[in-house]
Amino acid sequence: MYLKKINKNFKKFREILLLNSLNNFLTIILVFAIFITFLQTFNWLIVNSKWTAVTTNIPLFVFGTFPEDQRWRPFIWIMSLLTICFLSIVPPKWKWLRKNLLIAWIGMIPLGIFLLYGGFGIQTVMSRNFGGLTLTILLTVCSSMFALPIGIGLAFCRQSSLFVVKKLSSIYIDSMRAVPLIAVLFFGQLLIPLFLPLGLEIDSVWRAIFAFTLFVSAYIAEDIRGGLQAIPHTQIESAKSLGLNHLQIIRFILIPQSLRIALPALTNQVIGLFQNTSLMSILGLVELLGIGRSILANPKFIGQYIEVYIWLASVYWIICTLLALMAKYLEKRLKIA
Amino acid sequence: MMRYKRFFLQLIIILLFIGLVGILINNLIINLIRTDLGFNFYWLLKPASFALSEHALPFSPSDSYAWALLIGWINSLKVILFSLIFSTILGIIIGLSRTSKNILIKKISSFYITFIRQTPLLLQLMFWYFVGFLGLKNKFINFSNILKINTQGIEFFGLSLTPEFSALFIGLSVFTSAFIGEVIRGGIISVEKGQWESFRSLGLSERDGLIKVIIPQALPAIIPGLTSQYLNLAKNSTLAIAIGYSDIYAINDTIINQTGRAIECFIILLLTFLILNLSITNLMEKINKLINKKQIYIN
Repeated sequence: MYLKKINKNFKKFREILLLNSLNNFLTIILVFAIFITFLQTFNWLIVNSKWTAVTTNIPLFVFGTFPEDQRWRPFIWIMSLLTICFLSIVPPKWKWLRKNLLIAWIGMIPLGIFLLYGGFGIQTVMSRNFGGLTLTILLTVCSSMFALPIGIGLAFCRQSSLFVVKKLSSIYIDSMRAVPLIAVLFFGQLLIPLFLPLGLEIDSVWRAIFAFTLFVSAYIAEDIRGGLQAIPHTQIESAKSLGLNHLQIIRFILIPQSLRIALPALTNQVIGLFQNTSLMSILGLVELLGIGRSILANPKFIGQYIEVYIWLASVYWIICTLLALMAKYLEKRLKIA
Repeated sequence: MMRYKRFFLQLIIILLFIGLVGILINNLIINLIRTDLGFNFYWLLKPASFALSEHALPFSPSDSYAWALLIGWINSLKVILFSLIFSTILGIIIGLSRTSKNILIKKISSFYITFIRQTPLLLQLMFWYFVGFLGLKNKFINFSNILKINTQGIEFFGLSLTPEFSALFIGLSVFTSAFIGEVIRGGIISVEKGQWESFRSLGLSERDGLIKVIIPQALPAIIPGLTSQYLNLAKNSTLAIAIGYSDIYAINDTIINQTGRAIECFIILLLTFLILNLSITNLMEKINKLINKKQIYIN
């Protein structure tokens, strides 16, 4: 009885794997290659790898050179971000909390600035001490939160019936999308000070956030525009016939629907932004990749390139995968509602 | 009445915009006067006085900045062209294996795509450079003098490539191929299932059917996605600076560090990228038109 079942399963397995002679050949080669790769990797992991560069520097990777006795501050901020992410995915039972989720999200930025920079009773920390995952998250959260409303605004401007508004916003969007990100970041770091009046200075973290916002908002605008175009025109007509005015149509009909349609694209933008914050390591901020680079430059950890890169890649990979899963879950939930 | 209102609204917006730009330019002029730089392009003709390890045309430190920028452009175009071709080939293979019936191939290619897409390109480039080439040390790969890979780069049929170029080329190709793979898979999926069934019932082999029936119909859906991936590839090539390949951005950066002419260099960079973008878009549009023409002919 059992044998028959196993035999049947085996046959099915064979049918799937070994479709024809070419596939037969490919499967065998691939299995062989995977086996060798696993063996080599295993051998390297057991015998040759040295993880001291990673294991002794975990706090550095997470907090950068943030003062040691103050590290609870970024920790609290990251934890509250995680909590609010969780709350947005799994909606809480309390209605007041659900209604104020947006305000809570917006409140994350001032909270983060307060906790990281200090002041008002807690010790102030200079922005040059920010680093590691904390800085990466700060850049991602602030830039995406600023870029979303600007992007929505630009998308509506591009659809506007006013010629000037339409032209200006489309020139902005198209030129931003034609330029490499590193050029925009470079603009943020070196050229913004030239455009500011004498005496006014912005610190480099905020210049980076500004540059990321400029760049990402153009991409978000195009995604939202795609969402707007997918909304059937009859919806606007029916809203008009119900007596809604222009602003009400935008607020209740167009924005929620276009956001829902554009959600997958927007998630990709946030994931892309999270990865692209690594470019700041070329331009002088020590975020996650920058910390990795400076640790590798330390003669104590010489030659541990593979270990550090694997560690960094897995951190980026895990966070990006979590973001993607979150978005997928949210998408599913919004579709049912 | 309504028309006047709209007209004045637009006029106010234009005035506000001009005012904002005016303030910024005013600040810029004040700052440039303060730093004693001014705004001109005469410095382009001065000797560059830096050496470049990678140059297709003869270059020495006594050549002008303009010549250095041209060399940078040639370097950029070289790496873009190489990776464009290689990533397309790799992307087609991955896209096709994503739609393969062999579960093993399907799983491997989908793992490849997710892994490549969810780690930063900069990290990948550094990996290829520091681990892939400089990490080889004494070990090297040698296939009977046709293909040699060692710390000096790649040598292929006597064509020798520097490690910087090779790392950038491989990194960009691998990264872009994951995205191209998804584009191609999307295109193939967009072809109706009935088409597959009908070519099979006509007795065409899988491969013939794929080439003669499925791919021609998938192309109109593939080309726009491919265009945007090519544009991204061109833009991403500016990350060359992280591994010391002297592309257009890296040379601009060096010049800015030497002369402090940030505004002028930035304008040059923007203009050149605008031209590159426009030429890629135009080229792909022409290909698109060609395909559409053929499509009509087939139909």
